[in-house]
Amino acid sequence: MATSTAAHGPRGTAQLSLAARRRVRGVAGLVLGVGGFLLLWTVLSRFVLGEFTLPPPLEVGQTMWDILRSGAFIENFVPTILRLGYGFGLALLIGFPVGYLMGTSRWWRSFFHDMVLVAGSIPGITYAVLAVVLFGISVLGPVISVALVSMPYVAINVAEGLDSVDRRLVQMSDAFGRERSSVVRHVLVPTVAPFAFAGVRLSFALAWKVEQLTEVFGASKGVGFQIRREFEDFSISGTLAWVLLFILFMILVERFLLVRVERYLFRWRIEDQP
Amino acid sequence: MATLTIDHLVKTFPAIERGTAPTTAIDDLSFDVEGHVFVSVVGPSGCGKSTLLNILSGIETASSGSARVSEGERPARLGYVFQDPRLLPWRTVMQNMLYVIDETGQVARERALSYLGLVGLEDAGGQFPAQLSGGMQQRVGIARAFAVEPDLLLMDEPFSHLDAITARSLREQLQDIWTKTKKTVLFVTHDVAEAVQLSDRIIVLAPGGRLYADVTVDLPRPRKASDPRVATMQAELLGRFETMQAEVAAAKASIAS
Amino acid sequence: MSIAIDAAGTRKGPGGSVVGWLRSDAFARLASYLFLLLLWQLASMYEDRFPAPIEVFGFLWIEVTGGSHGGIVRGEFLEHFWATLPRFALGIAIAVVLGVATGVAIGGSKLVEALFKDTLLVLLALPAIIWAFLTQMWFGLGDDAVVITTFLSAFPFMAVNVVQGIQAIPRELRRMSGAFHVSTYRRLRHMQVPAVTGYFYAGLRFSVIIGWNAVLLGEWFSSSEGVGWRSRYWYDANRYKGFVAWVILFIGFIVLLDRLVLVRLQRRAFRWRDAQLSAIEREAEEIDIGVKGA
Repeated sequence: MATSTAAHGPRGTAQLSLAARRRVRGVAGLVLGVGGFLLLWTVLSRFVLGEFTLPPPLEVGQTMWDILRSGAFIENFVPTILRLGYGFGLALLIGFPVGYLMGTSRWWRSFFHDMVLVAGSIPGITYAVLAVVLFGISVLGPVISVALVSMPYVAINVAEGLDSVDRRLVQMSDAFGRERSSVVRHVLVPTVAPFAFAGVRLSFALAWKVEQLTEVFGASKGVGFQIRREFEDFSISGTLAWVLLFILFMILVERFLLVRVERYLFRWRIEDQP
Repeated sequence: MATLTIDHLVKTFPAIERGTAPTTAIDDLSFDVEGHVFVSVVGPSGCGKSTLLNILSGIETASSGSARVSEGERPARLGYVFQDPRLLPWRTVMQNMLYVIDETGQVARERALSYLGLVGLEDAGGQFPAQLSGGMQQRVGIARAFAVEPDLLLMDEPFSHLDAITARSLREQLQDIWTKTKKTVLFVTHDVAEAVQLSDRIIVLAPGGRLYADVTVDLPRPRKASDPRVATMQAELLGRFETMQAEVAAAKASIAS
Repeated sequence: MSIAIDAAGTRKGPGGSVVGWLRSDAFARLASYLFLLLLWQLASMYEDRFPAPIEVFGFLWIEVTGGSHGGIVRGEFLEHFWATLPRFALGIAIAVVLGVATGVAIGGSKLVEALFKDTLLVLLALPAIIWAFLTQMWFGLGDDAVVITTFLSAFPFMAVNVVQGIQAIPRELRRMSGAFHVSTYRRLRHMQVPAVTGYFYAGLRFSVIIGWNAVLLGEWFSSSEGVGWRSRYWYDANRYKGFVAWVILFIGFIVLLDRLVLVRLQRRAFRWRDAQLSAIEREAEEIDIGVKGA
């Protein structure tokens, strides 16, 4: 499409119309996507499950608005995000060296192989319950759970990234007498970065689920705790409201932050650009 | 101005599987190169051309004998042009140049720019390799090798992956740069026409890595591929190649019988 | 710990078979299990409520065999796995059927994709605990809640993978079929189905793993039998060794299922891709040998 527009008219206008067209398409996609979601929900609520079983969007929207307005959202949201952040930081801190060992040494690869495999199939509730047993109702539980869930994905992806380092580039660096630190910075790190980024994104999606679960079992604050409270009050609309607020936030982060960071980091792959 | 001394160089590779004989890539090779000359190493595939470059650049080590590059008292500086451009895809052209230059700051930038200018790419500094054509990428590769101001420039079939028209114009450009900078160049190729057009001297290797002939090319520069004198010399060299191949075949036949 | 052994081994002198064994992959795996056991032991010493490995395995043995009061048939293991497996199978079956249907609908039409792809993403992001809570509120205790929790958790993974498979059919292939007037049936048989098969198995694998975890959660909140309920039973009784023992059984089951069935299915479905890869590798090898051998 880029070439066909570039063929007509001067470059500047072609780019402008391309950007404008993109924006129109983006808005249309958003309207259709949200519309489809609400339509499906309304149909299910009104004709299939009944409004008592599945409250209609408007009712849940009202509850969401109340949560936002009362300040309860910020109050519970901030601790949840902070725990996620700390856990994630911990996962990166451990995952990178482990991934490096796995990517560079056969022995360490075999050492971590089964661990990482099994860690991927441990049910989330295990982390939640063990966190409660080990740390009681504390901040540490969710943080450690998040770290344990994310770490294997970060490590595996870093290892795979190191596997795919282009030997010819390393040879080139040797032929020009580059130092090891320089090879790490200019060849290894850029090769591993997309893999690490993919690992972080994947584990982010899993980690927050386990965090919610941990908060359901052992927290006195946070989105997961609120979900449990609504469940115990038998409030379907309250449960839905909390989880949708959080998902909304995650989608916004994904759409506006991660995609942009990715586009900047990997701008050298020109096929991704307009 | 570097001195390259290759003295009874031997390189054997250990057997890949048990029971097969080790293979000899270079067999008792000796020659010297000194001064501002453009030397080509020509031979059929499997004659140890690339192995020779790998030994010179330190990627592989010799089995016996020696290959030394010296520049007075200090170790010589090498530049390398590969078959493929081998640019860092995630760095701009300018950053790729700066990556191999030891100096920093303004000095390095100016030097990088001047060598990019020599290959006609002074405006491409801000672009990523993927935004350039294959020929342009290879020109960056050539500029990069010259930019380290090497005492000896090693080139490993740098035009073999390009289309014929691009390769032809790059050959002329290379001749031009070499005349301006006067480096010592060791150029590996399997293309006899290319060797004749570019070199002052052609080392011909036989299969198995033995020296077959050492030919001086004494034609005025700049040379065109279409120059009849180049064509004559090329035909003469190709004739020698045919003789060599016949000899090799005869030797093989006598072993077999 | 492994480092200490490694160092001790090296001191025996290089070239010895002991060193060779210590450096082998087999020892690396063994060392990793020993390391985990040690970590576990240390955790149990740090926190009294956290059971030590030996207690857990003792307890596990009793739950599986029925201990002194009679054989494996009387053990709790068979009874609760027998309760869980049908629920799990039914939930996954519904997820697969509806997931494939949804995936084909979204992958085959731009409009349907625009309308429902975001919905699918929201469903992917929903944690299983939400379904466990909602189904408990909707259906109360019983099989329905558990089956539906499993289905709802696994379904989006199945659908998303089928969508990806359909969209991964290269455009050139589609055009080629158009140019050669290939019939719809043949297109389906030789292009669409083989292209999607690999993604289908990948989706199935994801769904089964996710669904297995969802069964546990579903039974935790809305059942009075089954593996999930049994774990909760010991958790509520403050006997964590029981809880951990059941978690081990639970993980063991899914790891075995994954390794023995799912990974093999997936590999079989992707074998054309691996064949392509190994052909390239073979070629590279031949070139390499050719150069050195000539």
